[in-house]
Amino acid sequence: MKRILVKYYKKGDAAFLSHRETMRVLERALRRSGADLVFTSGFHPRVKMSFSPALPLGVAAEAEYLEAAVEGEPDLEEMIKRMNDALPEGMGVTSLQVMPGYMPKLSRWARYGLYRVEGGNGTLHLCMRLDGEGGGRLRDALQLLKERWGVEAEAVTRVGIYASRDEILEENPGKVYFYHAGKGELEEMEGSGAG
Amino acid sequence: MFFKRDIGQVSKPGRYLGIEVNARRKPLSASGANCVLVYPDVYEIGMSHLGLAILYEEINDRQDSMADRAYLPWVDMQELMERKGIPLFGLESRVPLGLFDLVGITLQHELTYANVLRILSLAGIPLRSAERRDSDPLVVGGGPGAYNPEPVADFFDFLLLGEGEEVIHEILDAVREWKQAGKKDRGGFLRRCASIPGVYVPSLYRVHYRADGTVSGIEPLEGAPMPVRKRVVADLDQKVKPRRPPVPLVESVHDRCSLEIFRGCTRGCRFCQAGMVYRPVRERSEDLLHGWGRELVSATGCDELSLSSLSSADYTRIIPLAERLSRDLERKGVAVSLPSLRTDSFSVELASRVGRIRKTGLTLAPEVASPRLRAVINKELSDRDLLEAVGAAYREGWRKMKLYFMVGLPGEEEGDVEAICGLVRRIMREGDGGGPPRGLRLSVSVSTFVPKPHTPFQWARQISLPETARRHFILKEGLRIKGVTWKWHTREMSYLEGVLARGDRRLGPVVEAAAREGCLDNWSEFFSWDRWRRALERYGLDPAWYVERERGEEEIFPWEHLSAGVKRSFLWEEYLKALRGEPTPDCRYADCMDCGACDGKEIVNRLAGGGR
Repeated sequence: MKRILVKYYKKGDAAFLSHRETMRVLERALRRSGADLVFTSGFHPRVKMSFSPALPLGVAAEAEYLEAAVEGEPDLEEMIKRMNDALPEGMGVTSLQVMPGYMPKLSRWARYGLYRVEGGNGTLHLCMRLDGEGGGRLRDALQLLKERWGVEAEAVTRVGIYASRDEILEENPGKVYFYHAGKGELEEMEGSGAG
Repeated sequence: MFFKRDIGQVSKPGRYLGIEVNARRKPLSASGANCVLVYPDVYEIGMSHLGLAILYEEINDRQDSMADRAYLPWVDMQELMERKGIPLFGLESRVPLGLFDLVGITLQHELTYANVLRILSLAGIPLRSAERRDSDPLVVGGGPGAYNPEPVADFFDFLLLGEGEEVIHEILDAVREWKQAGKKDRGGFLRRCASIPGVYVPSLYRVHYRADGTVSGIEPLEGAPMPVRKRVVADLDQKVKPRRPPVPLVESVHDRCSLEIFRGCTRGCRFCQAGMVYRPVRERSEDLLHGWGRELVSATGCDELSLSSLSSADYTRIIPLAERLSRDLERKGVAVSLPSLRTDSFSVELASRVGRIRKTGLTLAPEVASPRLRAVINKELSDRDLLEAVGAAYREGWRKMKLYFMVGLPGEEEGDVEAICGLVRRIMREGDGGGPPRGLRLSVSVSTFVPKPHTPFQWARQISLPETARRHFILKEGLRIKGVTWKWHTREMSYLEGVLARGDRRLGPVVEAAAREGCLDNWSEFFSWDRWRRALERYGLDPAWYVERERGEEEIFPWEHLSAGVKRSFLWEEYLKALRGEPTPDCRYADCMDCGACDGKEIVNRLAGGGR
């Protein structure tokens, strides 16, 4: 059995698909990918797979992840092609890789979400935790942005999912605000912050 | 812009996006027929409907035509659209319904009639056929409701009787020709359509009434055919659709792929309209179904393939077909299911053999519990058959079963209702080979019988609201059994269904008035009998006259000009036999009963074993 990591995007009208609907669409695409999928046991077998944390309705995403288990040697090129033929407009698979044994499960490393917030007075980046510990709601963060800086979010896109804050700063040298749900505060992120 | 800004405000916006996998998204054409197929209920129900999926593919496979889809938006979306002045649009093209050439609406159930009007009004299309101008779309109906569309006849330009996959092409050709000639003289165009077999143009028939409200005659105008006969596809192996149906984005009521294994049923249950109007039986061949089923799974990615028909265990080659498909699909985590099964142990064993990887609830429909009523409805089944079926299912591992019963059948007495309680108790006492099936949970669902046109019971009376309440009381008392829950259909919903099912054209204004104040009558949270009662009162019509009146042999029905093939004389004989409790055998295995559904040449029972 091999674990594969699927990286996909969801934009345009597809941003209005709920998390559950997105999972259904991706499960069907996987079923049509030609891969020899692994199923859960029990009366109602399901494709063995897990997803990056739910996106709020209406928020587009450039790099979301899905982890699935397959048997044998999957033909990754063919899988990408077939999955893209089986996804609704606005969704697509950008990469597909076999996960090395040492790589932690998606749920272990998918901890931070980075959002691009586009408003009338420019674009900024917002980061927040996605997991239970200190993870807040995007809606609250956007409300705070509006109150503090008068930023009226017109379009919000989750640009990526990361394991640590450092990883974000490495990739995005611009100014990033971190939403601290516990304190209800927005703070400017610095390189040395703990992950 | 509407989408970007507003769609996020409504519940389940996925219902309005039109980006389903396998959606064709063809552009509207300047010269060919642009159609929008409408299911007059919400997306989750409409997307499960096979008939529209077939027509969608028939139309979109033509070079010169296109078909989009539309459903009744949920109440929050209806409100938003009205507030923003957005007319109802085709999901894929986002073009308002009013700009299509043809708006095709399926009539699956009487309680969606108000939805039909709501859809037309959301689209801004004039409600009445008589009010539409040359540039307005043609509003076309179909489905089982077309066998008596009289309560909504004024709102349709024409309706199609019977199976649509052949006649639709004749319609599309006519529409294209009319469009290319500049869409002039709508009346003349409708008269031409009336000459296409299976097309019913209500405005070409004048209905005359007696002082007592019954129909005295139906007069065809300007050479319109009398009667209009339903269309039937003789050989279903020649019509294999859908192959790539759009896959619902939002979970729908039947979240699975349907493989239609045959059409028609000749068991002859006397209450069943489908069993009468979809005759004769036409089975598809086993090899074709085997290949097609696998093709559907790979074209949709679905995890359940349902072998659908009116009674799937009756398919001649059911065991080899079900076994081949489940063997091929099991590895792919796809379950094969049989949605409509007979109440016998053969069916249960069959369900169990194919359902190896999934054991959801099992549904059996004994309909009635007393031997006398079984003879009345012509459904041969004994208590022993049912007990054996339940026992077999129990031993196969099913712990949740659903039983369907009806109350209010002709000749029913209160003792027959008590027999339902007795039978259920007996199942719980001795369902497992004489002993109690421990841990079995039984859900009993009870509907009120509504006499339907083109059935032997079209002459019969339906029970009144107090009579229904009395029967429900008996069941409520008698079904207090551990492990048993029971559900009943809302009495007033069945009553309204009864008014509309055998209604006439005088109900048109009533439907219009009721629809102005609400819709979604099949949703208990929106249904209001009061709204309908007031509308009936306003037009001086008595619901009891439509529902509770026994019709005489000579009565001219409001649907007398519409033929589903089966002869009136056959139905009357069947009604008399019902009252005498006499059986009528299944013509698949016995002699021809001369019901009128076959033509003896092309249109005949066709069995997959090659038999006729």
